Amino acid sequence: MIDRSYKELLKIRRFPHTWCPGCGIGAVLKNVAMGLHELGWGSHNTAIVSGIGCSGRMGGYMNFDAVHTPHGRALTAAEAIKTVRPDLNVLVLSGDGDLGAIGGNHLLHTSRRNSDITVFCNDNEIYGLTGGQAGPTTPKGTKTITSPRGEIFQPLRLGRILTAQAPYFYARTTVYHLNHFKACIREALLWKGFSFVDIISDCIELNGRRLGFKTAHQMFKWFDERFHIVEGVRDPLKEDELGITKREVEAEEVPMGKVEVKVEVKHEDLKTFTPEELRHFDGADAKPIFVGYKGKVYDISTSPLFQGEKRMRCHIAGKDLTKDIEIAPHGEDLIFKFPLVGRLKE
Amino acid sequence: MKRFLSGNEAIFQGAIRAGAGYYAGYPISPASEILQQAALYSEEEPQFRFLQAEDEIAAAIATISASLAGVKSFTATSGPGFTLMQEALGWGHVVEAPCVFVNSMRVGPSTGMPTQPAQSDLLQIKGGSAGDYYPIAFYPNSVEESFRLTVTAFNAAEESLSPVILLADAFLSHLYEMADLGAIEVEVAPRTKEPLGRDQRLFTGTAHDKLGNVKTSDPVIYREWLRELRERHLRVADKYPLYEYFPCKSSETLLIAFGITSRIISPLKERFSIFRPIRIYPVLERELKEITQSYRHIIVIEGNDGQYASWTECAICRKVMRVPCLGGGFKLQWIQSQIEERLKGR
Repeated sequence: MIDRSYKELLKIRRFPHTWCPGCGIGAVLKNVAMGLHELGWGSHNTAIVSGIGCSGRMGGYMNFDAVHTPHGRALTAAEAIKTVRPDLNVLVLSGDGDLGAIGGNHLLHTSRRNSDITVFCNDNEIYGLTGGQAGPTTPKGTKTITSPRGEIFQPLRLGRILTAQAPYFYARTTVYHLNHFKACIREALLWKGFSFVDIISDCIELNGRRLGFKTAHQMFKWFDERFHIVEGVRDPLKEDELGITKREVEAEEVPMGKVEVKVEVKHEDLKTFTPEELRHFDGADAKPIFVGYKGKVYDISTSPLFQGEKRMRCHIAGKDLTKDIEIAPHGEDLIFKFPLVGRLKE
Repeated sequence: MKRFLSGNEAIFQGAIRAGAGYYAGYPISPASEILQQAALYSEEEPQFRFLQAEDEIAAAIATISASLAGVKSFTATSGPGFTLMQEALGWGHVVEAPCVFVNSMRVGPSTGMPTQPAQSDLLQIKGGSAGDYYPIAFYPNSVEESFRLTVTAFNAAEESLSPVILLADAFLSHLYEMADLGAIEVEVAPRTKEPLGRDQRLFTGTAHDKLGNVKTSDPVIYREWLRELRERHLRVADKYPLYEYFPCKSSETLLIAFGITSRIISPLKERFSIFRPIRIYPVLERELKEITQSYRHIIVIEGNDGQYASWTECAICRKVMRVPCLGGGFKLQWIQSQIEERLKGR
């Protein structure tokens, strides 16, 4: 006998629901409820957030505390709820127009912050509730009421956007490939971090009929032609593949900046300079510029003010500058920046 | 302990005293200091959660969602950010989420004059979102009062089950004064909203009946819902009829000013009577009627082109004179000369 106990998670008393016959949202609602029921999640530990549109009404048919947000804001709301209540499992049920277009900014940033929420996107490639306008995922060339000669722009590749930066979990499936669909739901629910399931779904009344399909089943067959399931984890997922692509954390980045290596120099090992020897290193004929300070010799060849010059205003290269620096406007810390090369013989 | 602190800091401390557990915001002058303090405080106090959102839309939605999830929450912004938050403000009224929106006003419209003080977002308190709603708004004029009114705003939010607006201006936000916040005794209202994950409720921005069933074509249910919302808000607003009145016996003129303008004109107390509304919205109709009837001339001095003046005219059914302090120019001498000019020959 078929196990129908998942129905306790649905508000059956509110049925019949608002969606058209043949719509894919019913399948999404049922399978998500079954997935939750399998895991034993209920209203005590789960909250549902939904957006606007046909798919946004899913929250209202489930026996959970549900938040029905304004257009596009479902992800932000879910993130805030998860932040305040880490004990709750937070699910987002929404559509492609809501998540990809009006909530696109939130999609980028909530996935970047890797908030631990699960997103089920009913991707029917159209704005259904408002009457069938072209959406962000409408394939190029599709005729809709706002693209009468066929959509002229490329669709948004949600899979590419969401997998640009690890960690990520992105699954593409359809309402037709039922077993694959169920497996994706289960894996997404159990994923720690931001997980996104892109469910290719049908909108027969406001998209399918215009494209020449007579029934929802014909659309499902079309999905079967367009997509094929790939085994295991594919990265990246091609546009005609159904599967899961996930990665836990980014490999550690090698720091791009200069690595400063400080070498301790033992004073005993240093060469000893007499004042005459020191005078020799005055910068002339591409020789290095050495100066003495408090019994030590520093190589100041890299100083921009001294370069190629024997002297800079009052300081003379190749000389003991202890007294000069005492009366100079700058402190002695200037000279400590330069490498120590030797000791000065008294 | 007495301390030298700014208006923004007092607002933040007020929120903490009121029991706030969540802050979401986006940087904008002159409210950024509140965001910075929230970031610092969340490091010290892990119970306090903080989100620097990707925009003000997300910040406002996160604030309301966090409130639904079960903590007192608030956000702070300035005029342009408050414009983006309008969507969430309307939503917050329908889903009955108690929270506080701080708006530190600067010269608008659009980017305006960052960061010159203004008082030009009064109409935005109540007119920015679609449909009818009745927000409560307070406007302090000193650092200490900012602290007190922040707590009052949180209390009013819990009682009215809605977002409450706390106004400030660039002047007040950056005004430093001595205050002893620890010694101020305030009453803190308890949390009135049941957190998420306890029940099977639906929080929706769509019109709904008391059980949370979506009802989009029933005028009776909608009217009933709106009447209840209005009555609840007016009842809570009546609890806080906050104003200040300095009568001057020899004067036939009443000056009406609030926020920073009332501070600037306070030296005129000797010559004119001054009325300062603290609850800006709903307008203090009863109090205005009572006080204004004994004066021949009424002059409203405000940092915008007559927004409060027009509300006053509606409330008292009488023409008033206006002194608009525009473009961030609040000079006592100029205001005085404008008053003289208005009163000449009358």
